[in-house]
Amino acid sequence: MPLMLSDFGMNLVTEIFIMAIFAMSLGLIMGYAGMVSLGHAGFFGIGAYLVAILGQHIGNTYLLLFFSIVVSGIIALITGAVFFRTSKFYFLMITLAFGQLVYALFWQMKPLTGGADGMSVSAILNFGFGDLFSPLSIYYVMGVAFIIAYILLRFFVESPAGKITKGIMENESRMQALGFNVRIYKLMVYALSGSMAGLSGALYSYFNLYVSPDLSGWLFSGQVMMMVIIGGVGTLFGPAIGAGVFIFLQNFMSSYTERWPMIMGMLLVILVMAGKGGIIHWLQHIQKAVFSRKKITQDTNNQLKEEEATS
Amino acid sequence: MSIFFVQLLTGIAYGMLYFMIAAGLTIILGVMNVVNLAHGTLFMLGAYIAFSFISNELNFWLALLLSVFCTAICGVILEKLLIKYVYGKELEQVLLTFGISFILADTVEWIWGTEMKTLPVPGLLDGSISFGDTAFPIYRLFVVLFGCLLALLLWYLETRTRIGAIIRAGVDDREMVGALGIHVGFVFTGVFAFGAALAGLSGVLGGPLIGMYTGMDSEILVTSLIVVVIGGLGSWKGSLIGAVFIGIIETLGKVWFPSLSMLIVFLLMMVVLIIRPNGLLGREVA
Amino acid sequence: MSLLRVEKICKSFKTLRVLNNVSLDVQPGERHVIIGPNGAGKTSLFNAITNQFSIDSGKIFLEEREINKLSSHHLVHLGMSRTFQKNNLFGNLTTEENIHLALIAKKGYRFNVFSPLVKRSDIRQETEEILQQWNLTDRRQMKVKNLSYGEQRLLEVLLALASKPKILLLDEPTSGMSPAETQQTSEIIQKLPRSISLLVIEHDMEVVFAIADRITVLHHGEVILSGSPEEVRNNEMVKEIYFGGGAKLHA
Repeated sequence: MPLMLSDFGMNLVTEIFIMAIFAMSLGLIMGYAGMVSLGHAGFFGIGAYLVAILGQHIGNTYLLLFFSIVVSGIIALITGAVFFRTSKFYFLMITLAFGQLVYALFWQMKPLTGGADGMSVSAILNFGFGDLFSPLSIYYVMGVAFIIAYILLRFFVESPAGKITKGIMENESRMQALGFNVRIYKLMVYALSGSMAGLSGALYSYFNLYVSPDLSGWLFSGQVMMMVIIGGVGTLFGPAIGAGVFIFLQNFMSSYTERWPMIMGMLLVILVMAGKGGIIHWLQHIQKAVFSRKKITQDTNNQLKEEEATS
Repeated sequence: MSIFFVQLLTGIAYGMLYFMIAAGLTIILGVMNVVNLAHGTLFMLGAYIAFSFISNELNFWLALLLSVFCTAICGVILEKLLIKYVYGKELEQVLLTFGISFILADTVEWIWGTEMKTLPVPGLLDGSISFGDTAFPIYRLFVVLFGCLLALLLWYLETRTRIGAIIRAGVDDREMVGALGIHVGFVFTGVFAFGAALAGLSGVLGGPLIGMYTGMDSEILVTSLIVVVIGGLGSWKGSLIGAVFIGIIETLGKVWFPSLSMLIVFLLMMVVLIIRPNGLLGREVA
Repeated sequence: MSLLRVEKICKSFKTLRVLNNVSLDVQPGERHVIIGPNGAGKTSLFNAITNQFSIDSGKIFLEEREINKLSSHHLVHLGMSRTFQKNNLFGNLTTEENIHLALIAKKGYRFNVFSPLVKRSDIRQETEEILQQWNLTDRRQMKVKNLSYGEQRLLEVLLALASKPKILLLDEPTSGMSPAETQQTSEIIQKLPRSISLLVIEHDMEVVFAIADRITVLHHGEVILSGSPEEVRNNEMVKEIYFGGGAKLHA
C-alpha cells in the first residue's frame, strides 16, 4: 500500500494513524462510558512533551513510550478521582480547565519546554533493530501501533469490565444497586483512555519532531472531538474513520485558506444542526434501510402465501 | 503592609471582573441548563467592538453602551437561530457553542488582526488614589464598585421580581408556563441575551484591565468555568464568592509564583471539589 | 437472630423529618410488608437501609453486622438486593443484556479486561435458565424499553434476584399494574423460596394480606404498629390513618 502513495501522502496517512489512536481513546470514554471530556488534548500534550523533554536524556524508546503511557494514566487516575465526584456538567467544564492548565504550564515553563515557541524532538524510534527515521519506517511503526491499540480496545469493550462500563453509562444508579463498584470502573476506563491519548502524543513527537503548547490547547481538544463525532459516537472504529476524514479535510482546507478555525467551527455547527450520527451510523442507517426492505417483501410474501392456503 | 493591601485590592478588582463574566455564564447555565462555551468569545467580541468605536473618536461610555447592545443582539441571533434547537441536549450544546466560539474568535482575528490591543481608561476614571506610599488606580475601584452594583441588581431581580421564578418554572415545565400565557421562548431569548450582554459588558470593562489578545477568549472562559464550578452551578452568589477568591489567589500567586498561578487556581478548584462536590453554594444539577 | 435489623434510625432533609426513630426487623424466611399512606417515608426507609444516603442516627444490622457505613454496592455482596418503585432498567439494552449485567455483579471475573464476556458459558447458561423459567425467551433480543409494563416490572424483580440475595427489598412491586398482572405478581412473590426473606412495600391490601407474615405500618416517618396481619387489621389507629375511622381493612 505505501508504494501507491507519495512521500506527502505517506506522511498524511502516518498522521492519520496517530490521530486515530487519539480519537479512539476519546471515543472510548464518550461512547462507552458516557463521559464528555473537553480537555483530552491535555494527555496528548503530556505524552508528547515527555518524549521531547526526557528524550534529551534517555535514548531508550521502550522506556520513553512506557513513561508516556504510565504518567498519562496516573494523571488520569488522580484527576478522575476528583472529577468524578461531581455531576456531568461539572466534569465537562473541569476537563476543559484541565486541558487549559496543561497548555498554560507548557507555555509558561519556558526553560523546560521552550514556552510558546515549542521545542524540537531529538528522540529517535529504536525498538532494538536500529534507528528508524525514514518516513516509510515511521509509517509502518504507526500503522502497527494503531492496529495494536484497536485490538486492545476491542478486547476491553468485549470483556466483562467493558460491558459493565457500558452498563454504567446506561444506568449508573442501577449498576450501583446491582452491586458494582461504579467508581472503580469509571477510573479504569478514564485511565485507559488517558494513557492511550498520552501514547498517541508520544508517537506524535517521534513523527513530527517538534512539539508546542498548542498540542494541549482548546482547538486541538475540539478537533479530536470532531473526529469522534464525524466517525460516530458509540463505535470503536468510527472515531478512527473520523480522524481520517478530518485530517484529509484539514489538509485540503489549509492549502486554500488561513481561516481553518472558522471553517472547523462552521463544520461543528452544521454537524450539530443536521443531527448527530456520524459516518458509521449513516452507514448503519443505509444498511437497515436495505435490509428491512428485504424483510418487508419477505413478510408480505409469507402473508400472501398464508392467505392463499386458507382461502 | 500597604503593598499587600494594594495587592489584595487588585485581586478583588480582578475578582469582580471575573464575577461579572461568570454571572452571565452561571445564569444561563443554572436557569436554562445551557452550557455556553462561546461565552468567553462574546466577552472578547465586546472588547473589540468597543475598541473600534473608541478608535473612531467615540466616548468610552457610549462605546460601552453600543458594545453591550451589539453583544446582546448577537446573543439574540444565536439563541433564535441555533441555541434553541439544542435545549436539553448537553453534548449538542457543547459542540454547538464550541463551534460558535471558533467562528467568532476567528472572525475577530480576521477583522482586527493578531496584535495585542488595549482599551484606554476613560478620562473620568483616569488617575489614582494614594494608599500610604503606593498609588492605586481609580479605575480598579470603579470595577469593584460596578461588580457590587451588579450583585445588587441580581439580588433584586431574583428576590423582588417574578422573572426568576418564571424562568425557573419555564425550565421545569415549558408547556405549563406557556399555558399560563407566558411566552416562554421570548423569556429564554431574553435570558440568553442578558447573559451575552453581561459578557460583552465585562469585556469592555475588562479591556483597560487585562488588555485584548488572541486566545483571551479561552483563557477567560476557563477562569469563568472555574469560578462557576467553585461557586456552584446556578448560584450567582457562589460565583461572587468564588470569583473574588480566585481573583485574590491569582493576583497574590502571580507575585509569589508567577509561572504557577494558574496551577494554584486549578488546585484550589480540586480542593473545593473534594470537600464540596457541588461547589460552595451549588445545588445538584440533573 | 434476625436477618435484618433496623434500630431507631432517624433522617431529616433540611427541616423535613423523613424518618423518626424507625425500628423493625426481618427474620430469616419471613415475608415482612411495610404499609402506610403516601409520604409516610417507606421508600426513604429503603433508601436508608441500602445506604443511598447516610442516616443521622441509629443503626442498621444485616446478620448482626453493622452496615450503616458501607457503600451501597457492597451490600449486594452481603446478600441484600432491592427493586425500585419506578422501573430502573437498562432501557436501551436487550432483555438478555440486562440479565447478563445483573448476573456478573458477583462473579469473580467482573474486573477482567481481556476475555470476551460472551464466551463465558456460565453466564449464558444462567441467563438461559432465567429466561426459560419466566417465559421470556422470545423477548431476549428485545430492547427493554419495548417490553410491556408487566414484563418490565417482572424484569425489575429478576435483576434483583440474580445475585441470589438472602433478603430482597421490593418497592411496590405491583404499582401501576392491572388486576390480572397484580394477581400474577402476587403469586410470583408467594412462590419465591423461603431461603430468600422479603421486605416489601405495598399499597394493594389484597396483596399485602396474601403474602405478609408480619406488617409494619409507617406514618409521617414513624412506626405506628408492627405485628401480625390480624393485629394490624383490627387496629383502630391504622383504620384511622387509612380510612378516617369506621371502615374495615378487609383482605
